[in-house]
Amino acid sequence: MTSLSKVFDPQTALLAKHAQHVVLVHFPIALFLTGVAFDWAGRWTRRKALAETAYYNLLVAAASTLPVLVTGLLAWQFQLEGQRLKGILLLHLVLGCTSSLLICAVWWLHFRARRRGAAVSGYLWVVEAAGVAVVGLTGHLGGFLAGVNVG
Amino acid sequence: MRRGVCSFVLMAIGIAAVACMEGGSRRSIASAGEPPASNAEVKIDNFSFGPPTVTVAAGTTVTWTNRDDIPHTVVSDDKAFKSKVMDTDEKFSFTFAKPGTYSYFCSVHPKMTGKVVVQ
Repeated sequence: MTSLSKVFDPQTALLAKHAQHVVLVHFPIALFLTGVAFDWAGRWTRRKALAETAYYNLLVAAASTLPVLVTGLLAWQFQLEGQRLKGILLLHLVLGCTSSLLICAVWWLHFRARRRGAAVSGYLWVVEAAGVAVVGLTGHLGGFLAGVNVG
Repeated sequence: MRRGVCSFVLMAIGIAAVACMEGGSRRSIASAGEPPASNAEVKIDNFSFGPPTVTVAAGTTVTWTNRDDIPHTVVSDDKAFKSKVMDTDEKFSFTFAKPGTYSYFCSVHPKMTGKVVVQ
């Protein structure tokens, strides 16, 4: 099989060990950070379009946490045979789950405010800031585990 | 008299240097021809196995030591051996009883590969 045909081979893509988690994880990270940035810009400038953009970014970010969690847990079960984690791997798992919860919580708080036709709560920026911090830390650990720091 | 001492010292240094070089070359020749040791070490560092290929005799125990800052595993392609996740400075050993070529990888970082050739 040539390298080009291997790239487009479904079996190669689907059975690429745990590479899917490493690929998919960029979506919730980028969408959440962008969503929060738009939300804060919307509050600062009081422009509704920015708030709308923030909402849809957060919606897709929350939706994309599911495949990321699933592929991460599958990698743990298949690649490491579900063995008891410790150290960086355990911290990455805990922070990853916490990140997913925070991303979904932020979207849900926006969703609830929209459904009620009310403005989002004033304290929401604290939850968003906590989410950004935890997502950043989880991503840092993930990058460290994946070896992106190797020169 | 002083010139004689200096000449002697220089000669002694020269002889010692030649002896060291000879010894070194003899050692390298000997290690190439020696039968493989009964224990072998593989270090895991900077996302690679070192040396990537080790050649050992049947019955040799190979020990992998994780010198990296992050966890790694050692898993053979044919599942003949499989380590737990090794944190920094943790070790894993396996005794190769049968001759053959055993390719292995790190299941956390599948691009990390190595080979044990058992003669």
